[in-house]
Amino acid sequence: MSIDLVCPVGHTVRVPPSETTPVDDALAACAGGTPDAFGPVYDALAPAAYGTALRVLRDPDHAAEVAQEVMVEVWQTAATYDPARASARTWVITLARRRAIDRVRAEQARRDRDQRDLDTNVTPSGHDVVAEDVEQRLEGAAVRRCLDSLTGTQREAVVDAYYGGRTYREVAERLGAALPTVKSRIRDGLIRLRDCLGVNHG
Amino acid sequence: MADSTHDAWDLLPAYALDAVDDLERCTVERLLAADPAARRALDEYREVVAAFTVDTTPPAELRDAVMSRIAQGSTATPAERSGVDDGAWSGSDGETRSARSAGDENVVPLAGRRRRWGLVAAAAAAVVAVAVPTTVAIRATVEQDQLQQQVDTVAQMMADPSATLLRSEVAGGGQASVLVAGEDLLFSASDLPDVGAGSTYQLWLVGAEGGVTSAGLLDPEDGAVERLLQGVDGVGLAVSVEPEGGSQQPTTDPVVVLAQG
Repeated sequence: MSIDLVCPVGHTVRVPPSETTPVDDALAACAGGTPDAFGPVYDALAPAAYGTALRVLRDPDHAAEVAQEVMVEVWQTAATYDPARASARTWVITLARRRAIDRVRAEQARRDRDQRDLDTNVTPSGHDVVAEDVEQRLEGAAVRRCLDSLTGTQREAVVDAYYGGRTYREVAERLGAALPTVKSRIRDGLIRLRDCLGVNHG
Repeated sequence: MADSTHDAWDLLPAYALDAVDDLERCTVERLLAADPAARRALDEYREVVAAFTVDTTPPAELRDAVMSRIAQGSTATPAERSGVDDGAWSGSDGETRSARSAGDENVVPLAGRRRRWGLVAAAAAAVVAVAVPTTVAIRATVEQDQLQQQVDTVAQMMADPSATLLRSEVAGGGQASVLVAGEDLLFSASDLPDVGAGSTYQLWLVGAEGGVTSAGLLDPEDGAVERLLQGVDGVGLAVSVEPEGGSQQPTTDPVVVLAQG
């Protein structure tokens, strides 16, 4: 018996379209288009796919492989992109994160990454390499400011799930906290971030 | 099921972070399929998660690789290219996961992913009111005083109004139940098929946070076995078939999970 499941999902109703960006429109136009049409879309979105994969996998080669799969998938499934639901950027990041996490949860990638952490994280006194990454990479970004609006425990749980590619169950194990507690921290943390970033789809 | 809907809503932020296991993913996707408000909430959380992304210039050769694969069109199957529209982000909400992996030798197959134990619990166990079958009995295979103590404990458990009974079919055959009263668990199974030489049933205690610890090997007689666990910290029990002598941690999927929440 397997506990990996493929979930049947039924048909749904679309919400009315909102304003779109040129990249959104260009991606939507790829559906049924020629490969030439994809060039500008690639240029606009590949850095987001690669950046997402790199944060999760922390290995340039793995990240490049994932980014390649993602960008090909973006082309192949452009017809399913719905500008009313998300920007093209968010859509691509969602796809990239899903693929990167699939990979990081495979044992070999996990071992590679943990070894990389051991190799590179030579700072003494347990300074958190993940938190450091947040500080450096998000310098000046709105999400950085908004992360400061979270409680310490909310921030810790969200960051660990995001950068660690962990399930909240694994986050709970790692932090030695109760499962419902960690679930709440992640939920409340993302809600605060949502409100702080002004994300509102009405 | 107001509870499971509530749980699914609770899980939406973790789902947006890909921080859920496969069973929870299904729970959330059922909600998404049924509720436009949930999809809107998910889209907002995904935008939050996307805000973490720092764009990074990919290697220059990546562009050539992608553009040449697209030009060849060799990787696009008709199903993929036709763009099945389910309105729920096909290709990103999990239901096309296996189709997407086909022809993608770099993506780790699902079968290779880590087993996550304790997740089947919510789906596998049915919580029923206290209706303890009077046939639940302690087998006379223990010393008399120990037996008397167990009988007393079981009698107290049965009298406990907060006690719950969880029952489930066992994969492969048989039925299992557990009576939960405070920190005491009475496990009972019947009609279990013989697992054969070289294998054994092993009982596991499922912790509140999903971890499992061995609660000993089970040696059914005529397919029936009972086990009383007293003063334990767990939300339920699970049984798996392990190599002879048992395992430190489960090495196979459980044949039954009986757990609350």
